[in-house]
Amino acid sequence: MIRGGILAGSAAALLIVGACGLAIGTYAHAKDKQAPLELKGDAAARPWARYSGWPERDESKWNTLDHISSPPAPKGPRKLAGPINGDAAKGSKLVADRGRGGSCLACHVMGPAGGANLPGNVGPNLSEIGNAGLSDEQFFNFVYDARVYNAETVMPPWGSHGVFSDAEINDMVAFLKTLKSPAPFKTTLDDPDKRPDPVEKRDNLDPMENPGLWTIDKAQALWKENGPGGKSCNSCHSNPAATFKTWAASMPMWEPRLKKVLGVEEFITRHAKATTGAAWLMETDDNRAMSVYLHFLANGQPINVDMSPPAKAAAERGKALANRKLGELNFACTDCHGKSANHWIRGQWLAVLKGQYDHFPTWRTSQQKIWDIRQRFQWCQVNIRANELPPDSKEYGDLEMYLATQSQGLKLSVPGIRG
Amino acid sequence: MAERPRLKIPSEAKKGELIEIKTLMPHIMESGQRKDKDGKTIPRKIINKFTCEFNGKPVFSADLEPAIAANPYMQFFAKVEESGTFKFSWTDDDGTITTAEEKITVS
Repeated sequence: MIRGGILAGSAAALLIVGACGLAIGTYAHAKDKQAPLELKGDAAARPWARYSGWPERDESKWNTLDHISSPPAPKGPRKLAGPINGDAAKGSKLVADRGRGGSCLACHVMGPAGGANLPGNVGPNLSEIGNAGLSDEQFFNFVYDARVYNAETVMPPWGSHGVFSDAEINDMVAFLKTLKSPAPFKTTLDDPDKRPDPVEKRDNLDPMENPGLWTIDKAQALWKENGPGGKSCNSCHSNPAATFKTWAASMPMWEPRLKKVLGVEEFITRHAKATTGAAWLMETDDNRAMSVYLHFLANGQPINVDMSPPAKAAAERGKALANRKLGELNFACTDCHGKSANHWIRGQWLAVLKGQYDHFPTWRTSQQKIWDIRQRFQWCQVNIRANELPPDSKEYGDLEMYLATQSQGLKLSVPGIRG
Repeated sequence: MAERPRLKIPSEAKKGELIEIKTLMPHIMESGQRKDKDGKTIPRKIINKFTCEFNGKPVFSADLEPAIAANPYMQFFAKVEESGTFKFSWTDDDGTITTAEEKITVS
């Protein structure tokens, strides 16, 4: 028996015609059943300021989801002036330097570099690359910009994006040429090819396990709090467990009045503003709590996204955005979550797109906070050295629509619990 | 708006039965070891003591140190011989004491 205000869940289905004159039935998102929304203005703070504690670099010179600015790939390999005379000792430190975009070890096993400490396997094992018969020019250009040899590569263009200088690449090449025997792993866990696939065993809906469930108590209190107009959510929706039993599983949705995709968080901002007057901007604690709650009420329901023509078009745009190379490190979403899925990047497992959407918003133990899907998008961008967009950007809506289609049919289980 | 501690205790037990008690206390448990982005140490703020009594008699207590992670979870056993009330307390570094209680019927 658990005390603490967790909703028991009612089985009765109700048609509610409340004080606000709205009939709520199934969620067909039909034109004649449009919820009141604040259509003017943004749904998040402007100017958008990056979260405190996140890397502060401005990455506007690189591609992001709403503009293209990275230089194109070089047309061909660079010719070298002569043989490479780099410093292999310096090179062995450079390849393990985690301040330079994760270090080579994020993707490659590289012999003794970095102590063979938990390297990844997104890229091939380079421990014996010194025996592969590569020329200095090939070594140099692979590091400088691997696209000249493989247009489909996920490898960052370390030289052409200016992360490493030519002299530093020479040092790394000198080190690579010394690699002629298998990596001296200290334990089998260090070997990415022997590491067992991680399995999420925690019960995310156990209140003793998931601190994220405390936000439900908070949301239930907010539900009854009167806004500036003297009304609360409860004034129109007095039985949320029944009314919203499937709603969140039908989101995100195409909103014709705004000509963009709305996720739950932005819907909450605009609907609250237009009804109770509550100001629950995206990426505030109140908004996140309400998003967790509305998803929680539809737990167990299969994700069933809007498939009307404009929603499908949004999903197509989202798919294209998921394939766009972004940031200084030049990664597309699908580079990690498609081409490199089921591989290790350093000590982190890369998952396929399917199954990523059904547990958001999620509690993040490393952050001691709830994160919604838009904040997760933002972090992915900043982490690969691209500027994030404001959370209510239409590009994030398209991306969320695409991500939801990849989890079509999976059952909601919110809040999730992750690292 | 403060979150309430979670308790998991059987509502009924047999006389002499060993029951398992689980508690979860919402708390940041700031260790005092972390630094903010300007390099300043974030001050320590933890729950430093947890107690459990049954019908006024001590059952279990613990002194917590900064290594305990956020939202401290305490799980322990108690032998119940009579019906009554478990009372729990959590003491913050700043002196604030949070309490919770739960009844059990023992037959």
